[in-house]
Amino acid sequence: MGAAQTPDTSRPLIVIRKVSRRYVRGVDEVHALENVSLSIPTGHFVAFMGPSGSGKSTLLNLVSGIDRPNDGEVLVAGQLLNELSEDELAQWRARHVGLIFQFFNLIPVLSARDNVALPLLLTHLTKAERLRRADTALRVVGLENRSDHYPRALSGGEQQRVAIARAIVTDPDLIVADEPTGDLDARNAEAILALLRQLKKDFGKTVVMVTHDPRALRFVDDAYHLDKGILLEGEEAERAAAVISMAAGGGPAATGARP
Amino acid sequence: MKYLGFILANLGRNKLRTVLTGGAIALAVVLVCLLLTMPDGLDSLLNTIANNTRISVHNKAGVVYSMPYAFTRKVRQVDGVAAAVAMTWFGGAYEEAGRVTFPSFAVEVEHIGAVYPDYPIAAAQLADFQRYRDGAIVGRQLLRKYGWKIGDRVTLRSTVWPVSLDFRIVGEIASDRAPLFWMNREYLDQALTAQGGPGLGIAGVIWVRAGDPNRVNAIMRQIDDLSRNSDAETASETEKSYFANFFGSLQGFVTIILIITGLVALCIVFIAANTASMGVRERAGEIAILKAIGFGRRVIFSILLVEAIALSAAAGGAGVCAAVGLTKALGTFAGWSDTIGPLGNFIVTAPVIVEGIFLSLFVGMLAGVVPSYGAARKSVVESLHEVF
Repeated sequence: MGAAQTPDTSRPLIVIRKVSRRYVRGVDEVHALENVSLSIPTGHFVAFMGPSGSGKSTLLNLVSGIDRPNDGEVLVAGQLLNELSEDELAQWRARHVGLIFQFFNLIPVLSARDNVALPLLLTHLTKAERLRRADTALRVVGLENRSDHYPRALSGGEQQRVAIARAIVTDPDLIVADEPTGDLDARNAEAILALLRQLKKDFGKTVVMVTHDPRALRFVDDAYHLDKGILLEGEEAERAAAVISMAAGGGPAATGARP
Repeated sequence: MKYLGFILANLGRNKLRTVLTGGAIALAVVLVCLLLTMPDGLDSLLNTIANNTRISVHNKAGVVYSMPYAFTRKVRQVDGVAAAVAMTWFGGAYEEAGRVTFPSFAVEVEHIGAVYPDYPIAAAQLADFQRYRDGAIVGRQLLRKYGWKIGDRVTLRSTVWPVSLDFRIVGEIASDRAPLFWMNREYLDQALTAQGGPGLGIAGVIWVRAGDPNRVNAIMRQIDDLSRNSDAETASETEKSYFANFFGSLQGFVTIILIITGLVALCIVFIAANTASMGVRERAGEIAILKAIGFGRRVIFSILLVEAIALSAAAGGAGVCAAVGLTKALGTFAGWSDTIGPLGNFIVTAPVIVEGIFLSLFVGMLAGVVPSYGAARKSVVESLHEVF
């Protein structure tokens, strides 16, 4: 991890233009996303929110280079992802994206340190350097004293911290989190959201998160609301933000939607 | 090499399954290695039991057809022949032990010692064999099996000739590799004549000892030339070739065993492939995550395939070591006992070791390639959708 950076917030890290994504499920065609456009500045912490089936995870997959759109363009860190092959996308993700999942998804037969060092296997670093960086990442998430523990010996919150360390160990431009608090209790969920916020604040990382958790609104810079594959804008977006904000117990309703 | 730790960690994920799969592969490799020693082992066995100067002369139509006994004298006159003895199948059944049969031959007592100087028979016993018309020399194995000893009297009923004869055991072939019963040819001849028959005017096989091993081929040609255009043309062959013909049916058996072994190996491939598939299925979530964090299809495929091959190779190595150890142990015990002595000829040679290792690598590759390819082929989004 680099030292605290001042991100160039004037330049968007992510630009999505008129993106649509359709799936074929059996004989039906599912419109997961319809004509979505947005841009996310470098160093911002944003959330994609919405009910199940709203298309937020699909949008996250497009942003992280896991999936490709049927129409439109996805530009991340200056790279047009549409034109990359599956293998090129894998290489791109390894260099530019750190991924965090709801169920932590650590490798059970590897220690916390080895789990964190896993993405570094794809680099040309020596083993000593890989382990040194893994230790640094574990220190950032506050688990330096648990590095030799295996996932089964860690609590849910600790496992998610290890997963976050794994996501940041390659010093990526973008950190993508899919429901990172979905499997955690309230205390751990807040701690994880605070940690993600800290990554943005201290290291200038751009963090994009999908969540149902209304508490997230207190930590993010912007929240984008989706429903049935459409990015809500204007009054619709504000109404969705207000509903979620009320569920979170009041406070400012963050929304990245343009009025 | 940087993936080695990850691969080993994955192999240790389910230790029992890894051990059982490895054990199955190792056992198959042991089996295949042992069976692959059979062709060379049989050849070596033949070299052990067959003398390079001894020649078998028998009817060209087959060993069950006889030759005129008088031909034996002609054979003895062939240049280079040191000794020759006529042998005729007696087919003796030992009624006291439930009419069991064993190789029993009527032989010329005055010539047998000269043709078989390599057989451990005491000179005094050979002399007694000539002295007593009803004398018999018996292999040690038969003596032990039926509790006979020198001086005992034994009655055998021939299953070939219409006679039942009493014998006095006068000597022993002190080797477990010759379960033979030799009797005096004249004794049988006289018994047949006494019954009003024509006597024993035939020989089943004439065994010849060449004075010089380099002249064996020339002697065989001369002997067969002697019988050309007669009623009983002969076919001469070395003792090794003669026994090899007997082992011919065994070779067919070996072929069948090798085919079965191949099928067993194929079964092991299926078992290993099933295990690899189960492993890949169980780790579908992890594989999806690996893909998501940037592990390409080629890397995923290679890791999974190397896992399967590493397990197979380790099991194959263990199997080969076990096969070598087993044959070495048999070789050691063979020196202690004549009964298992022939097993000492079955040695796991370097080519067999290489074949065993290649078999295990082949099993690993074949077992791993399909599930590895299946897991690597799927796109990352497809993999994630399947498990989350």
